[in-house]
Amino acid sequence: MTAIVGGAPARIAPPVQGRQVVLTVIATAFLGGFAWSWLSLDMSLLSFFSGLGDVRSLVGRMLPPDFSDWRNVLSATLETLWMALIGTFVSAVVCVPLAFGAARNTTPHPAVRLVCRGFISLTRAVPEIILAALFVFVLSIGPLPGVLAIAIHSIGMIGKLFADAIEQAQPTPKEAVLSVGARRFQTTISSILPQALPSMIATAMYRLEINIRASSVLGLVGAGGIGFVIQGALRSLDYQAALAAVSMVFVLVTMIELLSSRVRQSLLGENTNILAVRRESAWSRRMVMRDAALNRGAAEEKRLSPPWTSERLLRSGSAVIAAIFIVVAFILVDMPLLGALPKYPDLVRVLGDLFPPDFSTARDELIKGMRESVQIAFVATGLGLFVAFPLAVLASRNIVVRRAVVLGTRIVLLLLRGIPELIVAVIFVSAMGLGPVPGTLALTIVTATFAAKLFADALEEVDPSPREALIAVGASRKQEFVSAVLPQALPAILGQVLYVLDVNLRSSTVLGIVGGGGIGFLLLGSMRVLEYETTGAIVISIFVIVYAIELVGSLVRRLLR
Amino acid sequence: MTSSPWGSDSGAAVSVASLSKRFPNGTLALDDVSFDVPEGQVLALIGLSGSGKSTLLRILNGLHRPTGGTARVLGVEVGGARGAQLRDVRRHVGFVFQQFGLVGRATCMENVLMGTLGRVRGPRLGVRTYPVALRREALDQLERVGLASAAFQRADTLSGGQMQRVAIARSLMQHPALLLADEPVASLDPESSAQVLELIGRIAREDSRTVICTLHQVELALGWSDRIVGLQAGRLVLDRPATELSLDSVMEVYRRTGGEAPVETPQLQTA
Ligand SMILES: Nc1ncnc2c1ncn2[C@@H]1O[C@H](COP(=O)(O)OP(=O)(O)OP(=O)(O)O)[C@@H](O)[C@H]1O
Ligand SMILES: [Mg+2]
Repeated sequence: MTAIVGGAPARIAPPVQGRQVVLTVIATAFLGGFAWSWLSLDMSLLSFFSGLGDVRSLVGRMLPPDFSDWRNVLSATLETLWMALIGTFVSAVVCVPLAFGAARNTTPHPAVRLVCRGFISLTRAVPEIILAALFVFVLSIGPLPGVLAIAIHSIGMIGKLFADAIEQAQPTPKEAVLSVGARRFQTTISSILPQALPSMIATAMYRLEINIRASSVLGLVGAGGIGFVIQGALRSLDYQAALAAVSMVFVLVTMIELLSSRVRQSLLGENTNILAVRRESAWSRRMVMRDAALNRGAAEEKRLSPPWTSERLLRSGSAVIAAIFIVVAFILVDMPLLGALPKYPDLVRVLGDLFPPDFSTARDELIKGMRESVQIAFVATGLGLFVAFPLAVLASRNIVVRRAVVLGTRIVLLLLRGIPELIVAVIFVSAMGLGPVPGTLALTIVTATFAAKLFADALEEVDPSPREALIAVGASRKQEFVSAVLPQALPAILGQVLYVLDVNLRSSTVLGIVGGGGIGFLLLGSMRVLEYETTGAIVISIFVIVYAIELVGSLVRRLLR
Repeated sequence: MTSSPWGSDSGAAVSVASLSKRFPNGTLALDDVSFDVPEGQVLALIGLSGSGKSTLLRILNGLHRPTGGTARVLGVEVGGARGAQLRDVRRHVGFVFQQFGLVGRATCMENVLMGTLGRVRGPRLGVRTYPVALRREALDQLERVGLASAAFQRADTLSGGQMQRVAIARSLMQHPALLLADEPVASLDPESSAQVLELIGRIAREDSRTVICTLHQVELALGWSDRIVGLQAGRLVLDRPATELSLDSVMEVYRRTGGEAPVETPQLQTA
């Protein structure tokens, strides 16, 4: 050793770092939570596998799907799409002013920022299906309560991501526009909006993807869409008709997901860098050249408006198509927006009736339900991750060399993700009866596919140069994976584990609505008997748990950075 | 204090008296600076990094507020101006930034048109939201900076020198009585730098506009400007007609570091 160390004894183990302590504490807490949940839910591998057997025999009875009632199924599927579209659109429109108020660089006043931020995060507090159930009680059955629930709940994510996009806008153009004497509002529209717009549209598309899933389950509580059809078929034991409806959901969800990811890719991956253009297809290169020629020509002719380049055509065309779809949605959905006007005060009243929350009447059931929800979330997360990790490795292009394996895994993941979790849960409950086991099982399967996709993305983002260095010293593929890939991907993956747990906690609180265990059952029950104060207590408890997990998550992410 | 040959107030586009600026974090960026700039003069402002050049220009455009002294721009005391009055001064003062300040996703024409936002009312997004007469003028200004053919190209497809020329065209849309330029060529290669400086100089002389421009390349400043003002640690240490100065005497500004020099004075990189 060098003399710099002085008299200190040479150490051969690295000093313990705060990071490692944090990691150990989290891992222990997570494993402890898992073990406790597993034991108290009376889970056993046996019940698990027998459950899967029940599901298999139910799926056997579902085949072949029966499309004889296809008119009804199709119109319910379209209603699902229209509901998601309207809900997302309304939410995005509401979020524009909210986000400009919430972004540091555009807010008129810090106090406004605080209020907007607070409102945005509050809207996420209650799961949409619970909002929908509440609204159904006030506004009666139909798509309107579903659309309202989607619109309100989406504000949380859309508003947050819109504000982030605005804050990421470069400050120099804003200063430049201010310096010519423009007003604040003009400056924001001319210099910040164009920078944030692509990312805002991508956010709305992504949320539409999520909302399609949501609107296909809202029917379970009577809030319109295909979920109603699925539940009706299962209740009347018409399993083949149920599968027909489920397969329509699957087609809709998968189609929208493919469309949205394509659009988002072209919005966000767009790059005017020549190198990036060169990598694109010959056709797109031709378009770029054609556009450049059009632009030059227009300038030479001293035209005063931009020419119709393919880029501009594409942009305007998509805008027009989107507008048509939204208008069609508003026309076709049976949604008495104005007819329901006299009922809106009731809506506010019911929301007011949640207060003051009454924790005492159903105290024991409340505690039991909450505990069960948390346990379901832990078990589903633990088991799901166990399955997700190997799947993720198989789905990573930079780890598995065989393209067919990667592609096959990715397709399986995409297909499995096509059925929303509450629908999986409904089917499992039909197969295995009421209780936490079918709910856990359903959530586990959904977690596995969801987390596998997230992990695969994290693995693919790993910097390749350390890997090459290890291969250069003669490491085996396994050694290289453990020493170069894992440590790089670990922080991202840990962050995602927390995120998955967060998502599962939210989900496990609503599983009970379809009889899958947890607090959701009590929630629906309290609404049925109009004990809104108890409903309020449950909603607040859910909010507290979800919020606590979110806080822990962001704290840990900061510590790991 | 160095005596100034331009002492009189009459016809001064800019008049700065005992100007100081202390930032909330305690940094004293400007310390008792006084000078006048008569109309039509091209003034080069030089000094080490951190000497307060940007702060001075930003105060003149109301982007910072002084903590002491006065700064009159086109007859208005900008330190006390707010709202409509401040916007009115800004409307007549062009500002060229080192980082151009273009909206990359917008076309060059739209960026140039943004120079009129102080005159037109209401929010504008897209070239077609501006009146035809302004669009025609924007094309003329782009032609003047030699970029008419790029009018409908997105600004982020241009080179740095071209972007700065678009930014200058945007300032020209203001018909500015005073042009402030903060290191307009610092992120450009030598050839583009020469082009851009030549452009600013030509504009100043053809329309007899007042220009205050901060520069790092001293030898460029000498041949280009009428007058050179040097700042050091927030204090005015040099103020002479460019013709009376030699390169060596200007370099003094970069060499002498008084007792109140910034703590982390960087190594001098000769321009
Ligand atoms: N917003 C601010 N808050 C606090 N201190 C600032 C701020 N802006 C500038 N300063 C400080 O004021 C001093 C002068 O900065 P200024 O940017 O005016 O220097 P400059 O001469 O333009 O330097 P350069 O040549 O690097 O652009 C510096 O010490 C800087 O750190
Ligand atoms: Mg500066």
